[in-house]
Amino acid sequence: MTFANLPLAAVLAGLAGLAALLYLLQRLRIRHTVVTVPTVLFWRAAARDAPVRVLRERFRHWLAYLLFLAICALLWFGFAAPEATPDGARHHVLFLDGSAHAASGDDFARAVAALKTDLRTLPTERREVVWGGVHNVKLLAAGEDRLLLDRRLADLAPEAAPSALRDQLRLVSIPNGWPEQVEFVIYGRAPVDAAALADVRPGVRVSRGLEYSAPALNQGIVALGLAGAASGQWERVDALVRVAASETPAELDAPLVQLDDQPWPGTPERVGEGLLLRDLPAVGQLLTVELPAGNDLTLDDHARVRLPQRRLLGVAVAPEVPSVIGEAIDADPGLRHAVDDAAVAVRLAGTDFGGELPALELAPMAAQEASFRVVYAGGEGAADAGRRLGHAVALLGLDQIDATGLATALQRPVTLAVESGKRPAVSLWAALLDEGFNFTADRGFPLFLARTLRHLAGERAWPRFLAAGTPVQDGAAGWSSDATPALDAVGARYVPAPGNPRQGDWAVSLLSEEVTARQAGAALPLYQRGGAGTAAAGIATWIALAAIALLALEWVLFRRGLVP
Amino acid sequence: MARAPTFEELFDPEFLAALAQFSVRARRVPLGGRHADQASRQRGAGLEFADYKSYVPGDDLRAIDWNIYRRLGRLFVRVFEERRDLPVYLLVDRSRSMFLETPPRIRAGLQVALALGAIALAEHDSVALYSFSDALDSDTRAAAGSVGLARLAERLAAQHEQGGTALADAARALGDRRLRPGLLVVISDFFDAAGADAIAASLRESRHRLLLVQLAKAADADPGGRDDLTGDVRLRDCETDEAVDVTISPAVLTRYRQAYRAFTERLTELAGAKGAGLLRVDADADVLTQITPLFARGALAV
Repeated sequence: MTFANLPLAAVLAGLAGLAALLYLLQRLRIRHTVVTVPTVLFWRAAARDAPVRVLRERFRHWLAYLLFLAICALLWFGFAAPEATPDGARHHVLFLDGSAHAASGDDFARAVAALKTDLRTLPTERREVVWGGVHNVKLLAAGEDRLLLDRRLADLAPEAAPSALRDQLRLVSIPNGWPEQVEFVIYGRAPVDAAALADVRPGVRVSRGLEYSAPALNQGIVALGLAGAASGQWERVDALVRVAASETPAELDAPLVQLDDQPWPGTPERVGEGLLLRDLPAVGQLLTVELPAGNDLTLDDHARVRLPQRRLLGVAVAPEVPSVIGEAIDADPGLRHAVDDAAVAVRLAGTDFGGELPALELAPMAAQEASFRVVYAGGEGAADAGRRLGHAVALLGLDQIDATGLATALQRPVTLAVESGKRPAVSLWAALLDEGFNFTADRGFPLFLARTLRHLAGERAWPRFLAAGTPVQDGAAGWSSDATPALDAVGARYVPAPGNPRQGDWAVSLLSEEVTARQAGAALPLYQRGGAGTAAAGIATWIALAAIALLALEWVLFRRGLVP
Repeated sequence: MARAPTFEELFDPEFLAALAQFSVRARRVPLGGRHADQASRQRGAGLEFADYKSYVPGDDLRAIDWNIYRRLGRLFVRVFEERRDLPVYLLVDRSRSMFLETPPRIRAGLQVALALGAIALAEHDSVALYSFSDALDSDTRAAAGSVGLARLAERLAAQHEQGGTALADAARALGDRRLRPGLLVVISDFFDAAGADAIAASLRESRHRLLLVQLAKAADADPGGRDDLTGDVRLRDCETDEAVDVTISPAVLTRYRQAYRAFTERLTELAGAKGAGLLRVDADADVLTQITPLFARGALAV
């Protein structure tokens, strides 16, 4: 048997205390009320058979004591609220959905009201409230007064985040971390897929605190794609806005497109499930796309992304450099020959052409051990150098060249070295540019040259595809790395919340398709209210009836003079 | 402690006027005493013809019945019944218990004493007042007539509480005085620490006719209704200061009632054995109403 209001030890201690106290009271000397009467003749006769209790006298009334102790014990048990059934002992986790799923209409207010109502009926020690927003936060721990919840809920509202319900279910399924029997009640529409339910350990019962009707039509932006302009203009990009809907919308209204909060003069084109914005100027402006209001959720009606800065890169090429370099620069629309405003130089190693500019150097094979040598600014440890090495292979496009063929032609292995230095630099054997080695004829050569020069000029990669739950891909190589972390499920890490500074240049606001499509997930049973309360109330009723019966018995015995 | 009623409170003309309808009739009063209205065994000069007797020298010649002499030739004289007074002794309890509660029992006790005294005095009987507490107090002279009534009222109003109830001793002391047999009216709550048996024993020796007036209150028979008698109480006797610790319970109250009932039954037995009257007066109620049933057809026969 367990108790809702007190631990078993406290109940037993209280019972022992009551027994001791009653025993002491039985033995205490009575403080009499003095009453003057005309005569004590008859009282003397009446009291002869019923002597009063005095301290340290023989304990006379064992049965009366036990009867009174039984009554007090029953009342004490009633206060402790025993729970005889396993249901009564279940630990209740009340999960308040604070994700984007709850941002529909009055869903959130209803969920809060239902949660508060249920909270009143649950034993304090056996319930807790968890907020499921961007992160799961315990709003009310077991044992805490429920009045604290109002204050903690005051500033909370549904967040532009998918439900973290799955994480919480995984958490309660960890053995030994939670009570054996858990009732997990979800207040909100947050969906649970069948796989997540299947992973829940036995003993955890998942139910929903409210019954919801089918959601209204919703549509929202779920992905953004950026690519160089199909028109061939280097300093422009095209943007793809992918729109999802909970059901097929009648017609997609024209979105509002802004660049740095100014209306974009162009016209979006409808492409498949989204919109294509052509020839956006790649000058680092903030692109905002906002769908017309009027659908179920507003959180997914807008998305923002910082457009890349694309400019023609000026390259100063030393006269002694093989002409193949100049030809490759001419062929690249993003590069141009420059002298005074060059951002990067190409020279022979050991010369000072270009002065302090970051340079691509051509070194003799005898002077440089590695075929390719990459110098990073700043000193870093060996572990970081290893990471940089792998990074450099993709960064410079070396993974695109025919290294095997080159090594065969050179009769030497083709190697890459990464070092740290004062300024960034890349050097390679000058011999590699000889026609005999076929490097300049490799399809990877222009890519290597373009990436190397842009890397040396300090140009940053820019995202090509942004979608909640999808790794961010930069536009340089199409690979992901630690330096370009994946968006979290909603890109919340990059969401510029009101009043908060924008985080990073890839500020986006994208809900997952699961939210936008208003997926219902697996069907859950409705929370059966009153299970624990009814069981406890039933026991409490029997306890009260037993106490009343014993009190009546004591009254009868008292009237008959059988107990003092 | 409460006080006894004052003379003005006691000597209520309306109360006294209401008593005029009552009388005390003795079947025969003992020899001696004064001429009065009570029938006696004494023959002599009176108004009520009683019998004839042969003339002897010295008899009053006016009593010779000459008609009988003419018929029989012998002298007979008519004898008459002499009317004498009935001595009434009022023995009033003035112990502390008579003054304890509100209203005190002494108030009703003195009213009863005055009433019986007034009725007796109206019959030209003599009335003597005795009071007692731990012992019999000094006697007061017998009084008669309307002057005696005022004096009786004064004496009654002057009563004050004193000591305990020693009725058995007082009755015995009164018997020792060899008073002319008469009507002894004992007015008391009878709460003698010696017990009802001692009272019965001493009164049984009395040569007087007895009228016992028991002054009681409703709470005497059933104290369960008293608000102050709940839980654990120490009951202190107002006369002896004896304390009895009692845990009031239905069982204790039941035993109390049994003890009190035995006490009253003992008094009833005593009255029955002596051919005496027993009048129980509720000290909280009107006295006149309660003594009226005592006078069947207006007279109390003793």
